[in-house]
Amino acid sequence: MRVGLLHSLIRKEEKLLLEAFRQQSVTPIMLDDRKLTFDLESVPDIDIVVERCINHSRAMHGLRLFESLGIRCINSSDVARICGDKILTSLALKEAGLAQPPIRVAFTEDSALIAIEELGYPVVLKPAVGSWGRLLAKVNDRESAEAILEHKTVLGSYHHSIFYIQKYVEKQGRDIRSFVVGNECIAAIYRSSSHWITNTARGAVATGCPVTDEIASLSVAAAHAVGGGVLAIDLFESTEGLLVNEVNYTMEFRNSIDTTGVNIPERVVTYVLEQLK
Amino acid sequence: MSECPVCGADISLASDTVVGELLECTDCGSELEVTGLKPLTLAEAPESEEDWGE
Repeated sequence: MRVGLLHSLIRKEEKLLLEAFRQQSVTPIMLDDRKLTFDLESVPDIDIVVERCINHSRAMHGLRLFESLGIRCINSSDVARICGDKILTSLALKEAGLAQPPIRVAFTEDSALIAIEELGYPVVLKPAVGSWGRLLAKVNDRESAEAILEHKTVLGSYHHSIFYIQKYVEKQGRDIRSFVVGNECIAAIYRSSSHWITNTARGAVATGCPVTDEIASLSVAAAHAVGGGVLAIDLFESTEGLLVNEVNYTMEFRNSIDTTGVNIPERVVTYVLEQLK
Repeated sequence: MSECPVCGADISLASDTVVGELLECTDCGSELEVTGLKPLTLAEAPESEEDWGE
């Protein structure tokens, strides 16, 4: 059984996965994305690739290259492509009929401003590609909107001129991060912060969240909507019920094992090895 | 045993350390990457890029 671990930097999550593989008597073949080259023909001696890159672009293209050689990947390049782009994620959620915050997409400063005012303040501007709560902007009024849109247009790289605008959801200081492996929601945490951004990468505190039927069913449905596999779902508790905010395909879980009591890396490794049977 | 490339502090690593692993210098707080095991070599970890994340 030859498992390739596609990676760059080895963070705590990758160490935990390596240890979980060792517990199953599997020593992964390390595939450092900084050292790989592809000729589109040579097939590596690998049965399955587990993606743990830190760069979205390398992950998405690396997975597609491995898939073109007939190698199964977890997650698939399609899942990476959809989850790595908030517009594609919103489309997948919409097409699956799942609840999400209202969004608008626009391609110019002027049309983005119109879209923001249609949604009504406050809104959140997000880069279509980005993570860890970086470069998010909560826009409370027209003057802020005009300034931020101009800054993004003038100072941002080209993809910052694709405006992903989400209605701000009042979430009472927390959101929910759930973890889906295959067809099961295995765990969930609350992420709490006095800041409106509740990413643990930005200092939010993780505490255990009971996996209710509603959380489990929406989380699994969201995972399936983007193609399924090993996914982390961000949920908002709104007055209209749970909303899917984002779906993450290279999930981070270091703060969630002790918090939930669930051995997340072990569950991931078990799932990966089951795919080879 | 190796030394921090930023502050020169002695750094010892666990036996299960792997190439590519991130660690933090306990003296200066720099984020470091293990670039080799035999001999043990360390470098400053790369700065985060725009498409880094989950």
